Amino acid sequence: MPFRFLPDVAIADIAFEAESDSVNGLFESSALAVSDIMVDLETLRSDTTKKVRISSEDLDRLLYDFLTEIIVVKDVDSLLFREIKVEVAADQKSLEATMKGEPIDRGRHLLRNDVKAVTMHMFGVRREVNTWKATVVLDI
Amino acid sequence: MPQIDSIKQISDVVWEIPTSYKSGMLVPARIYATKKLLDGMDAGVFEQVTNLACLPGIVRNAYAMADAHWGYGFPIGGVAAFDIESGVISPGGVGFDINCGMRLIRTNLRYPEVKSKVKELVDLMFRLVPAGVGVKGTLRISESQFDEVMKYGVKWCAENGLAWEDDPSHVEEGGFIKGADPSKVSRQARSRGIGQLGTLGSGNHYLEIQVVDPARFFDRGLAKHFGIVEEDQVVVMVHCGSRGFGHQVGSDYLRVFDSAMKRYGISVRDRELACAPFSSKEGKDYYGAMVCASNMAFTNRQVIVQKVREAFSQVFHREAEALDMHLIYDVCHNVAKVERHSYDRISADFLVHRKGATRSFGPGHQDIPAPYRAVGQPVIIGGSMETGSYLLVGTSKAMEDTFGSTAHGSGRTMSRTAARREVRGAELQRKMLERGIYVKSATMDGLAEEAGMAYKDISEVVETMDRAGISKKVVALRPVGNIKG
Repeated sequence: MPFRFLPDVAIADIAFEAESDSVNGLFESSALAVSDIMVDLETLRSDTTKKVRISSEDLDRLLYDFLTEIIVVKDVDSLLFREIKVEVAADQKSLEATMKGEPIDRGRHLLRNDVKAVTMHMFGVRREVNTWKATVVLDI
Repeated sequence: MPQIDSIKQISDVVWEIPTSYKSGMLVPARIYATKKLLDGMDAGVFEQVTNLACLPGIVRNAYAMADAHWGYGFPIGGVAAFDIESGVISPGGVGFDINCGMRLIRTNLRYPEVKSKVKELVDLMFRLVPAGVGVKGTLRISESQFDEVMKYGVKWCAENGLAWEDDPSHVEEGGFIKGADPSKVSRQARSRGIGQLGTLGSGNHYLEIQVVDPARFFDRGLAKHFGIVEEDQVVVMVHCGSRGFGHQVGSDYLRVFDSAMKRYGISVRDRELACAPFSSKEGKDYYGAMVCASNMAFTNRQVIVQKVREAFSQVFHREAEALDMHLIYDVCHNVAKVERHSYDRISADFLVHRKGATRSFGPGHQDIPAPYRAVGQPVIIGGSMETGSYLLVGTSKAMEDTFGSTAHGSGRTMSRTAARREVRGAELQRKMLERGIYVKSATMDGLAEEAGMAYKDISEVVETMDRAGISKKVVALRPVGNIKG
């Protein structure tokens, strides 16, 4: 998995660190981590496609807003995703994402935690040599 | 706990960290704990409660209750009161789950009558009260009705056949907090919330059938005021909040405040402590939206209680009224409110933040419903699904010492990942059944995460608050059936 959970960071909640060799990959990994916390991705199909466009002030907040959008779509459209492709614009202030998944099916999906929100605790995107990393703590 | 040389013991269960501990502290930090609880508190509590003490306009003390543990910005179990004019408001002081709270309803049934029906009741309530990831409720309302929910909470329910006559008065603030401003709520928050009334959510939220524990029936005289009159009497407890609606209001304004602080020349030690003057545009906007979410949470718990009444009525073939299923009380434990308090001969309105802390108003307070006014406000403290919960009562000492506040629950001590490593959901479910607790959960992983071992000893927490005199034990409630979201 391109992300790992950080069990000691947030006792009541769930923290993870995602990494990739590209910004697009980092956003995709982070989004998959959020999905994985809500559902066992193996039980999810890729029948439904949703596209989103997001603009923010900087790369940090772009990731915050993107992950928040995944949580919003889960509540508003009852959709969860297992395949996520992201194109972050060159100025790192906007993105387009194509997400494939399906509506929540309580009979078939192995559901886990309902994520409440992305927190600002330790939140951030950083570049370490050739690797992009993000630390994210989710409120459960 | 970390080594803090300057901490001093004020009384049996009250500790104080002076302003000299950290530069920028405007008031001392007070921690309510036995020595055992204090030693077991994570370093984050001490860091965060002293960070609170640095926020502009804080008055008297920053408080951490006996169930305190690390949170975002404020510790969970944190209380802070601010001057209305010079003080700040902080979304981190409320939490993402705005007006998460507890509700307790009574019945006139005793456990021997209910024992053989617990499974049927839990299974039926599990169908009637949707729980888990992304669930929607069965109540369909229009956008304009949702505006009314935001403004009038349980009062709206009463006007629309979703509440009994005496329900609104038995909810903190009479069922709705004044000052809601739906125009300050984002489109995203509205979209998340409108379909979620009557849903339990996930995480540590639950709906539980409980029994009055004869061995821990501390004050029968007081209990009688709340309609608890018998050993083994059956009650139902609800723990949930404002669902995705409140979560989105919290997320939206955390972003707003994160940017706004620079304009007001405020710097904080932790991004999650983002705040703005209560009197500023951002402060007022957040308050108006936060009150909307609080009133939605009251409504959410009300709709759930109507379903609980329906379930009992169906299973026992009697009207819920005949089962005496009145609301004992409903308390918020994640909220910021304007309240009048007095200390050091000052009597004024303060903005009181309670994050993982419960209001604990003492006898005689005008905000307590008439039937309880002589004895104090019921305080509902939820434990883990294995260990049980408590009903307490607010005190005059809480009014004097803690802006009328006490603890809210047991507080986690083990991470979710670690709990899942320790126990499997199915195994926990089986073991709990052996101990007479029937549990149904929307998620087996989530069930394992809520195992009793992941929480502090609630009895020690309740004992601390009782010894400190800021709430008094009335009765312990033992779980027999539980729905975990």
